[in-house]
Amino acid sequence: MDTSVWITLALTLKVAGCATAINLVLGVAVGWLLARRQFIGREFLDAVLTLPLVLPPTVMGYYLLVVIGKRGWLGHWLQQTFGVNLIFTWQGAVIAATIVAFPLVLKSARTAFESVDPQLEKAARVLGLSEWSVFFRVTIPMAWPGILAGVLLVFARSLGEFGATLMVAGSIPGRTQTLSIAVYEAVQAGQDDTANFLVAITSITCIAVLLAAGRLAPGRPQLR
Amino acid sequence: MKHTPLRHRVGVALLALAPLAANAADLTVSAAASLTNAFKELGAAFEAQNPGTTVVFNFAASDALLAQIVKGAPADVFASADQEAMAKADAQKVLAAGSRRNFVSNSLVMIVPSDSMLGLKRLADLQKTEVKRVAIGNPASAPVGRYTKGSLVAAKVWAAVEPKAVMAQSVRQALDYVARGEVEAGFVYSTDAAIMKDKVKVVATIPTEAAITYPIAAVSTGPNPDAARKWLDFVVTSAAQAVLARHGFSKP
Amino acid sequence: MGFDVDIHKTVRSEQRAFELRVRFKTTARRSVIFGPSGAGKSLTLQALAGLLTPDTGHITFDGEVLFDRAAGIDRPARSRGFGYLFQDYALFPKLNVRQNIAFGLQHGWRNPSAKVSSGPVEHWLRAFELGDVAAQKPSELSGGQRQRTALARALVHSPRALLLDEPFSSLDPELRERMRGELDELLQRIDIPVLMITHDPDDLDWFGDEALYLRDGEIGERPPAAPAKERDSANV
Repeated sequence: MDTSVWITLALTLKVAGCATAINLVLGVAVGWLLARRQFIGREFLDAVLTLPLVLPPTVMGYYLLVVIGKRGWLGHWLQQTFGVNLIFTWQGAVIAATIVAFPLVLKSARTAFESVDPQLEKAARVLGLSEWSVFFRVTIPMAWPGILAGVLLVFARSLGEFGATLMVAGSIPGRTQTLSIAVYEAVQAGQDDTANFLVAITSITCIAVLLAAGRLAPGRPQLR
Repeated sequence: MKHTPLRHRVGVALLALAPLAANAADLTVSAAASLTNAFKELGAAFEAQNPGTTVVFNFAASDALLAQIVKGAPADVFASADQEAMAKADAQKVLAAGSRRNFVSNSLVMIVPSDSMLGLKRLADLQKTEVKRVAIGNPASAPVGRYTKGSLVAAKVWAAVEPKAVMAQSVRQALDYVARGEVEAGFVYSTDAAIMKDKVKVVATIPTEAAITYPIAAVSTGPNPDAARKWLDFVVTSAAQAVLARHGFSKP
Repeated sequence: MGFDVDIHKTVRSEQRAFELRVRFKTTARRSVIFGPSGAGKSLTLQALAGLLTPDTGHITFDGEVLFDRAAGIDRPARSRGFGYLFQDYALFPKLNVRQNIAFGLQHGWRNPSAKVSSGPVEHWLRAFELGDVAAQKPSELSGGQRQRTALARALVHSPRALLLDEPFSSLDPELRERMRGELDELLQRIDIPVLMITHDPDDLDWFGDEALYLRDGEIGERPPAAPAKERDSANV
């Protein structure tokens, strides 16, 4: 491999990290909305937002390409207004990974918020707390193990994202070639040693993340 | 339970598998991506001439196909876009002895999106700052990438172009990048450019160090060596060559 | 003085719509809203506290308008100055007794520290004999200790009235007697108006200076003596 494996790993962690951070905020916000607010079309919205989970990543990648590519309506607007083109950039890879992994944190966050006893939130309100204080001092502390488990799943999923990322960000070593794409390239070029090494690193990282997520899922008996 | 009915049942079950066994009449051809359209047409003609045989195609970048064959993929024929990939195959001893031959040649062209206003005409033009991205097949896995890199190095512009290079998985993906306008220029075979005449335009034919000739060979571990030999003989017949010529290929 | 309430709310669930139409005035020191399950008692109490917004009407306490749909007034729960005792006490399970009591005294986004201490907190810990368990979490407390913690948590704000939501319904009969006695004693020490909702006639005898009978969402005449079964039925 021309580009060092460690650079590829760093890039992969960067993309996965950004996608996870974005999904944390989005997942918590939308998950809370779906859990605590009634409105027409609520379940329909939930289903639409869960779609990326069931659509094949290449299909997602294609939709993204059509929308944010230079000729797509969003891509064209971005190009005209900010001179920004997301295709073949690591930011494009972040967007692909974010969208594909979003349903994982949405489900976890919504379930976590729904499991918080509303009586506790009411008690906090009567005791004089503002809505934001109720959210940070009562709701989040009770919901965060479930949310965190979802966030870790998002991280693992973003780490391994391939189909949509390849379509949108391409395979540019050092810039958008993440670990899973690098594995694919190495296999195609017959570079088995490189492929084995990359696969090992990716596997170890994902297993570690899944173990951590399993510990934090609510309902598991705590040792403390 | 009596034995006779059981044996009878097993026999019926085996008969049901017979159609699967009949797929021993499949001919599996792993061919370079640039041969997609031409080979599909040839496949139909071959099936007409050899009733009972179904031609199954597998198109990708040549090295990727080789990687599959080396790992045991049951291909009967391997058609590569450059000698290097076929040489690698030979070195890994997956080719049937004496079956290798060249059957067509192609040329490398530089293409731009059909609505491009940059006025690119030569390799040196790629150094302009308006050219931000150039689609090139990945040299590690696609012959077109190797031809391109060789030509860019010879023209002494590789150092300037490499940072702008977007590696495509195959020549068809490079073509797609240009057709979508995601890159300012790209390198494909003239046969590929012809497929998307409305979306891309050829601005230059690029000379390559060695002529671009496509070798084809039978895979030694292929399940259907008879059909493989027939295909190898078929692609050099004048009828097949006419089809290939219609798609833009030249004689080897 | 006291409550002046006239509210209407339609509560829709998947199966049906429930109409709450409650109108009463009370100046008694201790009032009890009494009615069977499903009568709308909890809804009424929540509306008074500001945890539920009625469709129309007004809620006034001691002459101060807390809610008036027509005038566009709807004071949020945090500014109504009531103490509220929830049916299961709603103590924060991950905070200890001190932190629970001090919870509302701390504004902002951080919870009080485990060792939080201040005049009012110490006062109520002493008054309710919670000093020994001050560092324990609700799951480690007895039913009585939990009730006292919940009360202390409400009282530390010097509320102008206490709202009690069926404080004894989840207890077994023996404990209920004891808790009633304790609560009665505690309430005698603090001199603020108390409004309790219950479906248990015994509570009525113990606590009610004034009794309001709620049935099917409306306040009305005292119904004939309820059969023994109904006393232990589940709540709304």
